[in-house]
Amino acid sequence: MMVSMNSETSRQIARGIAGALLLAAIWELSARGLKLPAYVLPSVSSILSGMVSDAGNLFAAAQFTAAEALAGYAVGCLIGMAAAVLITMIPAARAVVLPLATAINSVPVVAYSPLVLLWFGMGMASKIVMVAIAVSFTIFLSTIAGLDRVDRRSVDLIRSFGASRLAVLWRLRLPTALPLIIAGMRVSTVRSVLVAIVTEMLGAYGGLGWVIYQAVLQIDFVKVWAAIIVASAISLAFFGAISFIERRYVFWK
Amino acid sequence: MLNRRNVLAAFAAAAIGLQGFGMSAAPASAQDIIDASLRLKWLTQAQFAGFYVALEKGYYKEEGINLTINPGGPNLLTENLVATGADTFGLSGGTDSVFAARDKGMPVVCIGVSHQQTPFVFVSHKDGSVQKVEDFKDRKITTWFTGANHVLSAMLSKVGVDPKSADIQPQQVSVTPFVDKQIDVVTATRYNELYVINQRVGKDNLNLFVPEDSGVSFPRDTLIVSEQTATEKPELVERFLRASVKGWKEAFANEKEAIDIIMKIAPTLDRAQQEFMLKEVKTLMVAGKASTDGLFTIDKAAVGSANDLLAQYGVISKPVDLDKAFNSSFIDKIPAEEKRL
Amino acid sequence: MSGIKASAASLPVFSTGRVYAAIKPILWLTLGLAVIEATVVLFEIRPYYLPRPSAIAANIVATPGAYISGLWRTVLETALGFVAGSVFGVAIAIVFHRWTLLRELFFPLFVVSQTIPVIAFGAVVVLWFGNTLFAKAVISFYISFLPVTVNTLLGFNSVDPRQVQLMRSFGAKDGQILRRIYLPAALPQLFVALKLASSLALVGAIVGEWFGDTTGLGVLLLQAMYNENVVGIWATIVVSACLGMGLYSLVALAERRIVFWGNEQ
Repeated sequence: MMVSMNSETSRQIARGIAGALLLAAIWELSARGLKLPAYVLPSVSSILSGMVSDAGNLFAAAQFTAAEALAGYAVGCLIGMAAAVLITMIPAARAVVLPLATAINSVPVVAYSPLVLLWFGMGMASKIVMVAIAVSFTIFLSTIAGLDRVDRRSVDLIRSFGASRLAVLWRLRLPTALPLIIAGMRVSTVRSVLVAIVTEMLGAYGGLGWVIYQAVLQIDFVKVWAAIIVASAISLAFFGAISFIERRYVFWK
Repeated sequence: MLNRRNVLAAFAAAAIGLQGFGMSAAPASAQDIIDASLRLKWLTQAQFAGFYVALEKGYYKEEGINLTINPGGPNLLTENLVATGADTFGLSGGTDSVFAARDKGMPVVCIGVSHQQTPFVFVSHKDGSVQKVEDFKDRKITTWFTGANHVLSAMLSKVGVDPKSADIQPQQVSVTPFVDKQIDVVTATRYNELYVINQRVGKDNLNLFVPEDSGVSFPRDTLIVSEQTATEKPELVERFLRASVKGWKEAFANEKEAIDIIMKIAPTLDRAQQEFMLKEVKTLMVAGKASTDGLFTIDKAAVGSANDLLAQYGVISKPVDLDKAFNSSFIDKIPAEEKRL
Repeated sequence: MSGIKASAASLPVFSTGRVYAAIKPILWLTLGLAVIEATVVLFEIRPYYLPRPSAIAANIVATPGAYISGLWRTVLETALGFVAGSVFGVAIAIVFHRWTLLRELFFPLFVVSQTIPVIAFGAVVVLWFGNTLFAKAVISFYISFLPVTVNTLLGFNSVDPRQVQLMRSFGAKDGQILRRIYLPAALPQLFVALKLASSLALVGAIVGEWFGDTTGLGVLLLQAMYNENVVGIWATIVVSACLGMGLYSLVALAERRIVFWGNEQ
């Protein structure tokens, strides 16, 4: 069983890499073949050499952005799950919290950025807050959907045996909800890095978004793409890590 | 309209002779209307009033141009859009962005400079610790890392302060940290941020540090076209400039109407702020060489000093060939009398 | 049944209970706004942190045309992007589910594509799609389709393979199995994603308007942001929130109708 799992995983990885190589080849060929100028599309090879020559800077920026995204992600997940559990435990709160959360989330995250920058300054705090806002709602919605998936009859059955609300939550609702929660967490990984980068573009002391912003203004498109590729790598690693946890602990159950 | 044109043409002819007459008469045939677009560096506001006035009053139409004005936005680089042909004309960041574009091999040419002087100043609180440029040492300063930081470095170097000794941080969209005295020196454009700071701190409570006072000049708001347009359609460029100059003169002659036109397009703007902006923009546009040679004059000396400054700080790999990057032949074809206010 | 409900609602019936149910949210909203207003006034909160709700309302009322035309423009972009993103998201999920090879080759790239901040590529977007409403819809589409794909695939995976085998043994075709088993099974997860996609599509439309436009909520937001017009920022946030909630409610309404219909089958 374990062996087949591994061979499947390695096949997926191999194919993922093959897909990326295919894209890179098409990209390189069209950039060179059509002689596209760098401000339209730089070739993959020039981006890679740009990444190598600027590795130190990019690495520092990547660490900065990753730290913001991770911190915001953790805070956002906790808030999202806590809020979902809370309104499941206290049905009366649902009528208040759900519309409120919907309202807050339906405002594009970027709209809050000037306010958040104003309130939390240009440092890491504002990015962490922005990421947390963006992530918490995704997690909140997924968790609610998951917790609601429980069969009403099962709840009634367990409760007839004298189980408390908390026990129902822990024994029944959370395990049932887990696949959906993790799916939400998986989607949020990508969003967290993105929101951190977009907020950095509006004002920051460092990070990949800051590098991109500066590079656009200095017309250094190779650097823009280099930073984008580093950002994608972070998101992908993050996404991969959550997918790994998901496969290991959720479907394994 | 036609009458005014003729009067203007006659006036120009009388003033400068035959050459002027021939020039003004040439575009009067408007049977072939050319579609073109102007990409601004930012959203619609009084900073660009003259172009909107020219459009509204049909000056571009008279010159045979069916012009669309496209606003700019964050991370939208005017040079890029003009180089690729997505837009015909551009009002781009300034000499700094033109140099950077040329340095990266973008085929764009500057055909006119709008703001003859550095449009931004450095501001400190009058009751604060920064009273002169020497005081910038060890202080908290925020500025834009898009050229203003190099102006600041040059200003500091001139008075013997090592730029590294000041705590220079990138500036965010808000001037609130300065208003709250969390930072000592803030960068402000004369036409925008300075208005907000004046409103919130009071004009009399501020020290302004002007780059020109330190012998540093950084002309901004440059009109650009692609090399292709410049070589293949020189008459289009000329006609565009003539209509634009006319629009700006009209805007300055009738500021209320110009602001009306802007407010019609962007009604949520603060009218008082826009009026302030137009006045400040006027000061910047008629400063220096423009006071004698007229609007959009390219002051090669000022542009050259900005070129040297950017090369010195390594923003561009080497000084750019000025004559290739800045082509004043188009704007010079319009007689100075027509361009002067 | 829903038809009866709808016609009953349209009848001029003035039962007090129904009237109360209808105005209850408005009552709560009014109360909430009054509390905020009082708090701001009492504690003298600076408008830079929180302006009075009445000041925000006054701002919108002062130039209603700008907000209405901005709203309409953004609605169109969002709707186009959302519909395209949802259809494409489900279609890609079906393709990826059917052909594992394609999924394993390209799914990682789809994820990667979502990590690219479109805001860095303003010029490219304008270059490729011009200054049109369509360009904004493309961005809206681009950032809203992946959650739909991910959740639809998740829903497909929850299908019991034995059920599929059973149907196949009765000679059911792929299309039938898709319609009868996979799609209904994916509906709950799909709707979770659609709710997210509706707000993402709005984000896309607003960010899209940052690439040089004259109307739209994104333009109003930028203008207010860079002029430090905090009341204007809040006014735009309020209008965006109304729009976002409207979209969300529409999807939720569709969910109630369609999931109900799905279960009935």
